[in-house]
Amino acid sequence: MTKEEKYKLVEAFILENQQSYYRLAFSYVKNKEDALDIIQESIMKALKSIDYIEQTEYIKTWFYRIMINTSIDYINRNKRTIVAPDDILDFHLPNQENKLHDLDLYDAIDHLPIPYKTIIILRFFEDMKIDDIAVTLGENSNTIKTRLYTALRKLRIELKKDVDA
Amino acid sequence: MSKLNDAKVKYDNIEIPEELNFVVQKAIKEANPMKKNTRKKINPVQKFGIGAAAAALLFTGSVNISPAFAQSMANIPVLNSIIKVITIDELTDGNDNSQAKISTPKITGLENKELEQTLNAKYEQENAKLYLQFQKDMAAIKEQGGGHLGVDSGYTILTDTDALLSISRYTVETQASSYETLHNDTIDKKNELLITLPSLFKDNAYISSISAYIKVEMHKQMAADDSKSYFIAGEEEVDGGFDKISPNQNFSITKDHELIIYFNEYDVAPGSMGTVQFKIPTSIIQKDLISNYYIK
Repeated sequence: MTKEEKYKLVEAFILENQQSYYRLAFSYVKNKEDALDIIQESIMKALKSIDYIEQTEYIKTWFYRIMINTSIDYINRNKRTIVAPDDILDFHLPNQENKLHDLDLYDAIDHLPIPYKTIIILRFFEDMKIDDIAVTLGENSNTIKTRLYTALRKLRIELKKDVDA
Repeated sequence: MSKLNDAKVKYDNIEIPEELNFVVQKAIKEANPMKKNTRKKINPVQKFGIGAAAAALLFTGSVNISPAFAQSMANIPVLNSIIKVITIDELTDGNDNSQAKISTPKITGLENKELEQTLNAKYEQENAKLYLQFQKDMAAIKEQGGGHLGVDSGYTILTDTDALLSISRYTVETQASSYETLHNDTIDKKNELLITLPSLFKDNAYISSISAYIKVEMHKQMAADDSKSYFIAGEEEVDGGFDKISPNQNFSITKDHELIIYFNEYDVAPGSMGTVQFKIPTSIIQKDLISNYYIK
């Protein structure tokens, strides 16, 4: 595949999935301007490092990975974005199972530490397979599974369906 | 599972802003150096020919020239000088949703005709290109079912003294959110020279002197004002961001002979900061200057 074809493919892919990317970025930073900045930065990074992608089937995970890393960088350097620290999480979540019914699950996910939040979003909101998440995050599948269960335990969700691998 | 589904519904309902598509397209366009190259490779002659012919047509006839055309021909007065900047072309085009307003400056009165022509040709060419791009973008947006698009390009005279003329040409592209770029030219009116940034300095040391100062200034501004934010390379694991100015970084010289360095929107700061400029105290660059003729 020539570089030009690669560009076209990645471009088309980004254009097609821009809304998913935006939602993901938004769920990290919680405001429009920052989310758009992240999108912009991710696209620049991605297209500049297009040589690193060899197989087209990895475009999706590759771009998600860039997006996620960019988002985390962005959060780190813009201190005005408040990432829920553990004490907030503790306040909301553990040992308070009775209260859990009143707790909005979406907000609870929002308050998870970033690694857990990322997995929940990718698995359930973006409907990604465990293996793809593993590739995206550069971890092995077992680590992702463990982290996913931990995240779910943190959320105390009774899943009726099994989480498929 | 239902709770999780509720949460997913909430996630899916995250509002997608209108300007997303524009930001995405813009980023793709900017990050892709291939595009220009490959096009040129295919048929440079044909491409240029058509482009030039089309531009000439657009500029002379087919567009609806602003009713204020005559007015825009009016000279911008320049004190004690025959070197002038006039608006040669102001064209407006568009419909309810899309507008282009492109004014082209023209420099007259220079005895150095080569410099005059080079600058004027550059201004015309760039604006013709801008207009063609607008037409193309408008067609593309129409195809996608409509939307808003605006291009506003013009110029401001930053400095006009006996000795110096600094012109700043700006282009603002708007599609819900806007993107602004600046191109400055500074002319030595007495010697009729186009001043470039490297020509002011003895050697390349000015790049690091100015860059170091700008970095300090960025930190200072960010510390003083929470709403300010700059991308600085090599800090907090940031990729990209401001590292150093380019040898030909956009600049201007004030009437008080001070150097101003400009950055386009998104270059060194988030879009919310707009275009960014830094005044460089002469003391910072004194040791690098060739003379204090232009910068004092």
